Amino acid sequence: MMNCLDFRRRVGAEPFATDEEVAAHRSDCGPCARHQDELQAMDGLIARALAVEAARIGKANPAESFPLPASAKRRLFAIAASLIVGLSVGLVLLVSVPRTSVAREVMGHILHEPGTMATTTPLAPGELAGVLDPDGTRLRSGIGDVTFAARCLFDGHVVPHLVVRTSAGPVTVLMLRHRTIGKPIRIAEQGYNGVVLPAPRGSIAIVGQGIANPDVIAQQVFDAVDWGG
Amino acid sequence: MNRADGETDRRRRFGTLCEGLRPDLLRFAFWLGRDRGLADDVVQEAMLRAWKAFDSLTDESKAKAWMLTIVRREFARTFGRKRHPTTDLDALVAAETDVLAAPEDERLAEMRAAIFRLEDDYREPLLLQVMMGYSTREIAEMMGMQQGAVLTRLFRARARLRQQLGLSAEAES
Repeated sequence: MMNCLDFRRRVGAEPFATDEEVAAHRSDCGPCARHQDELQAMDGLIARALAVEAARIGKANPAESFPLPASAKRRLFAIAASLIVGLSVGLVLLVSVPRTSVAREVMGHILHEPGTMATTTPLAPGELAGVLDPDGTRLRSGIGDVTFAARCLFDGHVVPHLVVRTSAGPVTVLMLRHRTIGKPIRIAEQGYNGVVLPAPRGSIAIVGQGIANPDVIAQQVFDAVDWGG
Repeated sequence: MNRADGETDRRRRFGTLCEGLRPDLLRFAFWLGRDRGLADDVVQEAMLRAWKAFDSLTDESKAKAWMLTIVRREFARTFGRKRHPTTDLDALVAAETDVLAAPEDERLAEMRAAIFRLEDDYREPLLLQVMMGYSTREIAEMMGMQQGAVLTRLFRARARLRQQLGLSAEAES
């Protein structure tokens, strides 16, 4: 049986630990439960603190670091027609193939960045715009404060990843323009629940922790997204 | 696919990876070295090395860990040459005010300065865990340490941060 010292050492190293021993001690010891809550909140602040603007650090544009040589550019024009045909065929195949792994990939991404769900301080509008503008999307006000926004690598594509504090608590929002799905896909795993919804552009994943009515919250978030022209 | 198509595809895939990973790698290198010039140099050099070795990346879902390993190696290689001459932590913080400033949130600025002041041994596993999302087992593998040692460092890192921020710190014994 874990004692208070063991518990605090454990969550001091892993604030989001949820194994049986931690859960059992947490449910029996109010001060330790509060201590873990404090550490989780601090991890949210650490995550935000570390997320400094990369543009202030790096000078060079990565695209400039690896320019296409002129000969390759000419070849690009030459093969454009065949690419268009190929992409069209590929697109038809892509939309017709069931993508049952999207829920697993969404959960994998969320579990890889647990600190983001603990963020609490609203972002400045400019920070959010910097993440959404490249995709031509916007988030209408009223749905809740956005406390985390980043462009993340997901399935080989760069996608907006937000955490929005809704009336039901924080939810992770992943805008997956590249993933077309035919119908909503539910997610219920490791205390998280939510749904991946078909969207005007690809799909959107909306996932929280223990949300009572995830469909309602997901619809509210979905309605708050302006997908652009 | 002919050779030209293959090269174009290779560049496209690498470009996509770089676009997605570069911001995190820059942040990681910045927090590791506490110097934005050093971070930029390290990431730039690491990307060139990654480009040369791109064919060895057979599973692109592991690209983040692969690039991170290259950045860590490049950092170790470069750090000796460009090491900041001062050990004055206040001077280090002051030199990077442009990046660390958070005028809209005083707590955020305090936390950034506190992380800057953490010893290297505590700062790196914390970056790998909170910023890069690795488990303590994965961090142990990356750093060539026992998992228990990583847990101790992470515990101490948070205890130091709590101390610096004026919160009650846990006993470290």
